Amino acid sequence: MKKTALFLSLAALGLGSAFAADPAKINWAKVPVTQVPLFYPGQSTYEWLRSDEHKNAAKEVKRGDACTACHDEESAEKDIGNKIVKGGRLEPTPIPGKSGYKDLKVQAAYDDSNAYLRFQWKTDNPYPGTEHQYLRFDGKEWKVWGFPKLDKPVQQGKEPGIYEDRLSVMLDDGKVPGFNKQGCWLTCHDGQRDNPKQFTKEEVAANPLLTSIKKSDVRKYLPETRTDPSNWKTGKTVEEIAKLKADGHFLDLIQWRAHRSHAVGMADDGYVLEFRLSDSGRDMFSGNSDNATHAPKFMWDEKKVGYKSITALQLHKGDHFLIREQNAVPFDPNAGWKEGDMIPDYLISREDAMGSAADNKAIASWKEGMWTVVIIRPLGLTNDDDKALKPGAVYNVGFAVHDDNITTRGHQVSFEKTLGLGVTKGTKVDINAVKLP
Amino acid sequence: MSHSPRARSLLSTLLACATLALATPTATAFDEAAAKALAKQNDCFKCHAVDKTKKGPSYQKIAAKYKGKPDGEEKAIKNITMGQKVKLEDGTEEDHKIIDTKDPKELKNLVQWILAQ
Repeated sequence: MKKTALFLSLAALGLGSAFAADPAKINWAKVPVTQVPLFYPGQSTYEWLRSDEHKNAAKEVKRGDACTACHDEESAEKDIGNKIVKGGRLEPTPIPGKSGYKDLKVQAAYDDSNAYLRFQWKTDNPYPGTEHQYLRFDGKEWKVWGFPKLDKPVQQGKEPGIYEDRLSVMLDDGKVPGFNKQGCWLTCHDGQRDNPKQFTKEEVAANPLLTSIKKSDVRKYLPETRTDPSNWKTGKTVEEIAKLKADGHFLDLIQWRAHRSHAVGMADDGYVLEFRLSDSGRDMFSGNSDNATHAPKFMWDEKKVGYKSITALQLHKGDHFLIREQNAVPFDPNAGWKEGDMIPDYLISREDAMGSAADNKAIASWKEGMWTVVIIRPLGLTNDDDKALKPGAVYNVGFAVHDDNITTRGHQVSFEKTLGLGVTKGTKVDINAVKLP
Repeated sequence: MSHSPRARSLLSTLLACATLALATPTATAFDEAAAKALAKQNDCFKCHAVDKTKKGPSYQKIAAKYKGKPDGEEKAIKNITMGQKVKLEDGTEEDHKIIDTKDPKELKNLVQWILAQ
């Protein structure tokens, strides 16, 4: 990673409070490490887990038993992940060379202002996954170039696999029924992108809940938001869902993105309720494609970076972030574009990010095949789409890594874990954040 | 140091017995690694653990039930080969999974390991 990007990340953190630690100077050697096994789940959806295909376990899952009530044996995660990733009933389109298992090192600390969550994992590739999709000029028009590896164009060899690395944290304060037992699997359903019985546009258009929230696909949701938890088409009313949210029945979802948030020293802030939603305010990234022409809205400022665009030959050679306040200028359609010119499909901005969506900051670096990411989350957030972190409290958490140009089910995930913030002796948690001096 | 002829004789007898004990497999000798591998391959550890109750009883509890009984080993083998109804820890009943091997040596080895817990 370039020094300039690291500097930008640190500067963007805006270490405002006098009581906040400098996250770059925390002595992590003194903070306990928890090894969290992550494994490839394929299409093991909420519905599959409750079916007879989940041998001798459907009854237990329906009853609400924890995944780890059965899957607690030695190397359980490694065995499951390595089996599923090869292909079969839970993975119809295996990705060649994909890891079935990853070790995630987790450390946690806090002070009077923030919680600091540090993660380390090895990447499959010998380079950081900071590239994301591009807009590419084909001689006539601009088209999206590069797709996640589970997408058909990549599977068919028509497009390269290009997608940012990601580290996700789902967090609950005990209010979401069942999350403490079955973790992220509450949110993963048939009908979603890249899952069995994937939605059709017509089905989504006919769904009152999704049309009322202006969505055109199906993403993570909590069972409580449907009248039939196993059928995404049976949504409750907007009023009922608002009540669930007011009662805290939602999951916080923090995602560090190696392209779209890392470029400006942030992690995004969202939540899962009837859909995977962004917090209120504005994200640090937005689409760079003009809705009408599909041409880019911004290009690189040649005076600052030496080029207006790149080509495929420059991939993985440097940081290709298009940052509005740093290196972007409005797109010039008459700049002599040639076939193969590429401009990022997303515009990133720390200055434009605002509100609850801009709560989480991050510092990250990639060295010798390993990402090290520190997410900085303010304590005591009061937004209605956040779970407030408080000293002494215990949270249920799930972790996921998207590695090697992939999204949706193509991740390695953890079983449910617990995170405490300086909990007293005798309170058993998987990860206990230590108070910084 | 010198020993009397009687003491020398006793010492060599003891040494011979000890050597024999180390070299000869006993009736309860088993290959732990092979037993655990077969159990893992058949998902036994999804329902059983050595020392805690899961969906099924712990292996220690099973051992306590069968160990030392003349037909203990035989009954345990039946349980994992005949698909018999078994009572689960939650009070419900289920057909026990049938182990995916017909090799009597493998079955005996697995059961001997379980009964040694």
